[in-house]
Amino acid sequence: MSPALIAALPFLGALLPALLIRTGRTNAAVAAAATSGLALLGLLLHAPAVMRGEVITARYDWLPWLGLNANFMIDGLGLLFATLILGIGLLIILYARFYLSKDDPAGQFYTYLLLFQGAMVGIVLSDNILLLLIFWELTSLSSFLLIGYWKHLPEGRQGARMALTVTGMGGLAMIAGMLILGNIAGSHDISAILQAKEAIQASPFYLPALILILIGAFTKSAQFPFHFWLPHAMAAPTPVSAYLHSATMVKAGLFLMARLWPVLAGTPEWFYIVATVGLITMLVGAKIAIFKDDLKALLAFSTVSHLGLITFLLGLGTKAAAVAAVFHIINHATFKAALFMSAGIVDHETHTRDLKRLGGLRHLMPITFTIATIAALSMAGIPLLNGFLSKEMMLEEASHTLWAGNAWIVPAVAALAALFSAAYSFRYIAHAFLGPVRDDYPHHPHDPGFGMWAAPAFLVVLVVAIGLMPMTFAGEIVRTAANAVVGGGLEMYPIKHWHGLTPALWMSVVAVVGGLLLLSLHPRLNAIWLAMPRPEAKVIFDAIIAAAARGAQALTGRLHNGSMSRYLLIFVIAALGAGYWAWTTGQQGAPTRALTPATPVAFAAWIMLIVATGCVVAFHRNRLLALVLISIVGLIVSMSFIYLSAPDLALTQISVEVVTAVLMLLALNFLPKVTVPETSVLKRRFDAVVAVVGGLGAGLLIYALMLRDFAFPSMSEYHLANSYTGGGGTNVVNVILVDFRGYDTYGEVIVLGIAALVIFALTEALLTGASSRKLIAWRPDVVRAGDKHPLMLLVATRVMMPIALMMAVFIFLRGHNLPGGGFIAGLIAAVALVMQYMASGYAWTQARQRVYYHVLIALGVLAAGITGIGAWFNGVPFLTSDFGYFRIPPFEKFELATAMGFDLGVFLGVVGSVMLALGGLSRLARRAAVGDEGFHVVAEKPDARALAEQTGPLEVGLAGEWRRSARLGAEEDK
Amino acid sequence: MTSADFSTVLPEFLLAVFAMAALLGGVWTGKDKTAGAILWATVAVFLGLAAWIGLNGGPARAAFGGMFLDDAFARFSKVAVLLSGAAVLAMSADYMTRRGLLRFEYPILVALAVVGMMMMVSAGDLIALYMGLELQSLALYVVASLRRDSAKSSEAGLKYFVLGSLSSGLLLYGASLVYGFAGTTSFAGIITVVEAGHLPLGVLFGLVFLLTGLAFKVSAVPFHMWTPDVYEGSPTPVTAFFATAPKVAAMALLARLVHDAFGQVPGEWGQIVGLMAVASMFLGAVAAIGQRNIKRLMAYSSIAHMGFALLGLAAGTEAGVQAMLIYMAIYVAMNIGTFAFILSMERDGQPVTDIAALNLYSRREPLKAMAMLVLLFSLAGVPPMLGFFAKFAVLKAALDAGYVWLVVLGVIASVIGAFYYLRIVFFMYFGSETEALDTRMPAVQWVLLMASALVMIAGVVNLFGVEGAAAAAASALVR
Repeated sequence: MSPALIAALPFLGALLPALLIRTGRTNAAVAAAATSGLALLGLLLHAPAVMRGEVITARYDWLPWLGLNANFMIDGLGLLFATLILGIGLLIILYARFYLSKDDPAGQFYTYLLLFQGAMVGIVLSDNILLLLIFWELTSLSSFLLIGYWKHLPEGRQGARMALTVTGMGGLAMIAGMLILGNIAGSHDISAILQAKEAIQASPFYLPALILILIGAFTKSAQFPFHFWLPHAMAAPTPVSAYLHSATMVKAGLFLMARLWPVLAGTPEWFYIVATVGLITMLVGAKIAIFKDDLKALLAFSTVSHLGLITFLLGLGTKAAAVAAVFHIINHATFKAALFMSAGIVDHETHTRDLKRLGGLRHLMPITFTIATIAALSMAGIPLLNGFLSKEMMLEEASHTLWAGNAWIVPAVAALAALFSAAYSFRYIAHAFLGPVRDDYPHHPHDPGFGMWAAPAFLVVLVVAIGLMPMTFAGEIVRTAANAVVGGGLEMYPIKHWHGLTPALWMSVVAVVGGLLLLSLHPRLNAIWLAMPRPEAKVIFDAIIAAAARGAQALTGRLHNGSMSRYLLIFVIAALGAGYWAWTTGQQGAPTRALTPATPVAFAAWIMLIVATGCVVAFHRNRLLALVLISIVGLIVSMSFIYLSAPDLALTQISVEVVTAVLMLLALNFLPKVTVPETSVLKRRFDAVVAVVGGLGAGLLIYALMLRDFAFPSMSEYHLANSYTGGGGTNVVNVILVDFRGYDTYGEVIVLGIAALVIFALTEALLTGASSRKLIAWRPDVVRAGDKHPLMLLVATRVMMPIALMMAVFIFLRGHNLPGGGFIAGLIAAVALVMQYMASGYAWTQARQRVYYHVLIALGVLAAGITGIGAWFNGVPFLTSDFGYFRIPPFEKFELATAMGFDLGVFLGVVGSVMLALGGLSRLARRAAVGDEGFHVVAEKPDARALAEQTGPLEVGLAGEWRRSARLGAEEDK
Repeated sequence: MTSADFSTVLPEFLLAVFAMAALLGGVWTGKDKTAGAILWATVAVFLGLAAWIGLNGGPARAAFGGMFLDDAFARFSKVAVLLSGAAVLAMSADYMTRRGLLRFEYPILVALAVVGMMMMVSAGDLIALYMGLELQSLALYVVASLRRDSAKSSEAGLKYFVLGSLSSGLLLYGASLVYGFAGTTSFAGIITVVEAGHLPLGVLFGLVFLLTGLAFKVSAVPFHMWTPDVYEGSPTPVTAFFATAPKVAAMALLARLVHDAFGQVPGEWGQIVGLMAVASMFLGAVAAIGQRNIKRLMAYSSIAHMGFALLGLAAGTEAGVQAMLIYMAIYVAMNIGTFAFILSMERDGQPVTDIAALNLYSRREPLKAMAMLVLLFSLAGVPPMLGFFAKFAVLKAALDAGYVWLVVLGVIASVIGAFYYLRIVFFMYFGSETEALDTRMPAVQWVLLMASALVMIAGVVNLFGVEGAAAAAASALVR
C-alpha cells in the first residue's frame, strides 16, 4: 500500500462513522476500526522492507512553486510512530465503543478521531516539512474538535482553550523555522534536508531556526515552560486523553525532534536547550504528579515528566541516548495508554477519579487492578518490566553527562526525577486499589465487560513481553527506528536487564526505595505541599491573557483614542521620520545653484513675514485678529511676487486676499470670537515642538531642493517664445491661463462654480428647521457700533463702484498683453460689489441686485465652453485659440482673440461664484439680524421693511417672525 | 483619443457611463425607489466586467501614451476588485434595506470608487495614479458617512476625509518632486532616470512621500490611524467594502509604482516597505487582542494582513509580487465570508458587534459556527486552510529575497495574531451562556459565508489555479 494511501485512509474513512451512526454505535465503531486496521495492515506489509533498511516513498507534486509537495516516506522512525498511532488507535476505538454511553454523539467522535489519526499518520509519514506542518496543525484542529464535541464539560473549556492556543501558536512559530531550514537546504523535502547537516549548522540562522522549531515541538509535547496546558486538557473524555494526550499527539513534538535530529542535534545549542528543558520538565512534572488527587491529573503530569525524559535523551545528542529515547517512546506508549484506560475504567465504574474517595478497589475490580498495577510498576521502573529497561538506559546516559562542566547535577536531577516517578506510580496503585474496601463510592464498582478491559490488557501483555524479552519483541523496531533517528550507521548493543553494578543501577535502587519512602510520608508531604504557594497554570495563563489584553487596550487607548489631533500628530511624526530617513540615506550631491543675493528690502519683507506668522500663532485664539494677521501675510506675499517680477500673481493674490478676508469676516460673525484652549499646556508645548520641527524640516527640504537643478530647464523659455506667436498675447501668464492650459482653467471655473453652489445649498439648508430657529435666537457676542452704515463709507463706496467696475473692465481688456485678465477682473468686480454689501447692508444691496448669480456662473461656463467649441469650426481641437487684427475706423488697429471670449467666461464665473457665496452667507446674516438689527431697520426705515416684504415669501416669513417677537417684546415692556 | 486608446479603457468607460446613467436615473425616478434595482444592476455590471476582463486575454496594451496600462497585472487586480465589489454589494442589500440606508447613491458611489480603483491598478503615470486614487477616495469618503443620522458614521467619514486629504497632499508633493527631478510623470520615464544610476535627492524624497501617501490607503502602520475608527463607525457593508476592494487596488498600485517606476532601487523602497510591513503586522496583532468589537477587530486584522502583503512586496522580486497578489486574493475571499457573517449578527433585529455575543454559538448554529471556525483559522494562517498558503507564499518570497529577520518577525506577529482569532473560535465553542443571536440570515449572506469557507478548504488542492494568474501578473510587472 502506498504511504500516501496509508495517510489518506483515515481521512477517507472519517466519513463512514458519521454516516453509519444511524445504524448503531457498533457499526460506526466497526467502520472506524476497519479503516484503522486496513491502514495498519498496509503499513505492516512494508515492515520487512523497512527493517532491511529500505525507505518506501511516494511522491506527488502539489504546489511545487511553494516547495510544497505531497511526498511521503516510510523509514524506521515513521514505521514505529505510525504503528503506535494506528495500533493504539485501534485499541482506543475498541475501548471507546464500550466507554461512551448511548447519549454521547459517538458518530462524531469516531469521525473526529479518524481525522486526528489521519493527521498524526500524515505527520510521521511525510517527507516534506511543509506537508508535515499542515498535518501538524491539522492535529491541533481535529483535537480541538474532538474536545469541543464533548458538550457536557464546563471545566474542560479552559483546558481546550489553552491547548488550542498554546499548540496552535507553537505550530505557527514553527513555520518560520521550517522555512529557514528549507531555505538553507534548498529543498523542503525532509530527505534532502537531512543531507544538509553541515550547511544548516554552519548557517548564521541555525539558532533562530532551531529555537522556532523547538517552540513548536515543546508546545506540542508539553515541555517546560509550556507544560501547563496538558493537564488541563485532561478534562476531555478518557479515550481522547489516552490517545491524544499520552500516546500520540504529545509525541508529535518528540517525533519532530527525532526526525530532525541528524541535522539539528550535536551542537552545544541543541544540548543546552533541549536537554535542559527535558530535564526540568522531567523533574517538575514528576514532582507535581505526586500531589495530584485526580487520577487523570496524576497521569497527565506523569506524562509531562516522561515526555521530558525523552526530550532529555534526544537532547543529549549521542547515539546511545537516541536508542534509549526510541525505546522509551515505545514503552511509555504501552504502559501510559494502559494506565489511562484503567483510570477511565475506574472513573466509569465508580463515577469518581478522586484518589481521596477511592481505595480498596483491588477486591472489587481484580482485573482492572492487575492491569493498572503492572502498568504502574513499569512506569515506576521495576525490573522485568519494560519501563525499567528504558529508565536504566536513561540513567546510564545521565550518569556520565557533563552540564557546563559539572558532573553531578544531571545525574542527581535525573535520579530525583526517577524517584518522584516511582513515588507517584506507587501512589497510583496504593491509593486507588490497595487499602480497605470503602462503602461510600459514588457508584458501586465492579470489573467492566471484556470489551472495555481488552485494550489495556493487550497493552499490559506487551509491557511484560517487552520487559522480559526486549530484543525479541522490540529489538528490531528499536534498531530500525533509532537508525533512522541518528541517520544510519548505528551499532546497537543488545538491550538487557543486567549490566553489572553500574551507577545507573544504584540510582534505580535509590529511586525505588526513595519512592516507597515518599509514599509512606505522603500525608505529611501533602500538607506541606498544600501549605506552599503553588503556581497554578490556569491562573497564570489567565493572568497573562488578561495582562496582554490590558496592554493591548492601553496601546490602542493611547494610539487610537479617537482624537483627530492625535492621529494627525502620528501622521506628521511619521512623515517627518520618513523625510529624515530619505535625507540621511539619499546621496545629496553638491548644490548646483548659487543663492541669489538678498537685498535689504527682501530681507525686511522676510522679517515681516516671520513676525506676522509668529503673531498669527501667538494671537490665533482671537479669530478676528488672526484673520487680519493672515491678511498681512498675504499682502507681504503679494509684494514679494511684485518684487520677483510677477505682477499677475501679485494682482491675483491681492484680490483673492480681499475677497477671502471679507467672506471670512462674514462667516466669523456667527462663530465665537475667541477659541478656548482645550488641551494642557504641556501638550501644546509638545505640539509646538512637533510643528516647529515639521516646519523646519519642510523649509530645509525646500532650501536643499532649490539649490539643485531640476531635471529640465525652466519651461518659461518655451512659453516666452511661443506666447505671442501661438496665443496672440504678450502676457505669458494670461496666455497660459486661456490658451496653453485652457483645459485646466475651464475645469477650474466649473469647480469654482460648483463650490459656490455648494455653499449656497449648505446655507440654504441652514435657513430651515432647527438651525433657522437657532439663527433667529442668535445674539451678537460683541457690542455693535451705533451707526451700522456710516455715511462716509456709504457715499465713498457708491461713488467708487462705477470706477471699480471700469477698472475691472480695463484690467480684463488689457489682460491678454499686460498684467490682468478675466480672473483678476472678476475678483475686482466682486470686490466692488462686496463693498456695497458692507457699506449699505445686505437688504439694500440685494434689493438692487438685478441678475441672479447662478445665471452669472452658468453664463460664464457657457461662454468659455462656446469659445472652446468654436475652435472646432475652425478645424482645430477644443479650446485652441485664434486671433487676428482688425481696423475699424476711427479706432487704431487692434487685436481680437478668441481667448477673450474664454476670458469673459472666466470673468463671469468668478464674479458669480464669489457673489453667490457671499449671498449665501449674507442670507444667514439677515436671518440672524431679524432678532437684533431687524427691529431697528424696520422701525426706523419703513421703506426697508417694505422692501423686505416685497422680496419674497422668505422675507415675509421673516417679517412675520419679527412681528411676533416685537409683540412679545412690547408686552414685556408693559 | 484614438480608437485603440478607447478600446483599451472600454471597461472603465462603460462602468463610468453606467454609474452616471444610474445617477441620472435614480434622481429622475424619485430618490430611493430604484435603489434596489440599481444595486443589483451594479452587481451584474461588476460581474459582467469581471468575466470580460478575466476571460479576455490578449497581449498587454497601453493607452494614452502609456498613461493607462492594460496588462496581466492590471487584469488580475481588476478582476479581484470587481468580484469583491460585487460580493460586498450583494450581501449588503438586505442589511441596507432593513436599516433604511439603501440610498440609490450607495451602489453608484461604490461603482465610481471601483472605476477609480480600476484606474489605479492600470495607472502608468503619476497623473493617472492620482486621478484614480482621488476618484476612489472621494467616493469612499462619502460612503463612510452614509449613515448620516449617526454621529459615529459622520465622524468616521470626516476623519477619513481629513486624514485622507493630508495623505493626498503628501502624495502630491512627492509626485511633484519626482516630476521636478525626474523630468517626467510617466513611470516608464521615471525608471529610466532611476536606472541611470545617481538618484537625485528630490526623486528620493518624492518616492518617500509617494509611499507614505499610498501607505495611508493600504492602512499600513504608521499611517493606519483612521482604520479602526472608520471601520467601526461606517455601516457594516461599507466596512466590508473598505476591507476588500480598495485594499487590493491600493496594494496593486503600490506594487505598480515601486516596480514600474522605481524598480531598480529596491534597496531604497524595500526598507521602507519592510519596516511598514513589520510595524503593521505587530500593531495589527497586538492591538486586536483587547478588542471586544468585532468590526474594530477586523480593522486591526486588516492592518496585520496588509503587513503580510507588504512583506511580499518588500521582497522586491517577481515571486514577491506573485505572493502578494495571491495573498490579496485569498485575503479578500476570507474577508467576504467573515463580513457576510458579521452582517448577519443581530439580536432582536438590531446589529450586534460585541464578540461576547458569539458565546456558545456552535450549539445553536453548528454549520455556521463551523464555517466561521474555518474562516477564522484561515485568517490566523493555520494550516491547512487557504490562509496559511497565503502567508506561507509571502514569507517564502521574503526569505528567498534574503529578509530572514522580516520573516521571523512576521511569524512571531502571526503567532500573536492567531490568539484573537482563536479566542473567537473558543467563544463560539466553549463560551459561557449568553443571550442568543437571531438565527435569521439572508440567503445571499449565507451562500457567501459558506462559499468562502468552502474555498478556504477546497482551495488547498491547487489554490484554484490563482497562482498561475498571479505569476503571469507578476511577470508582467517585474522586469
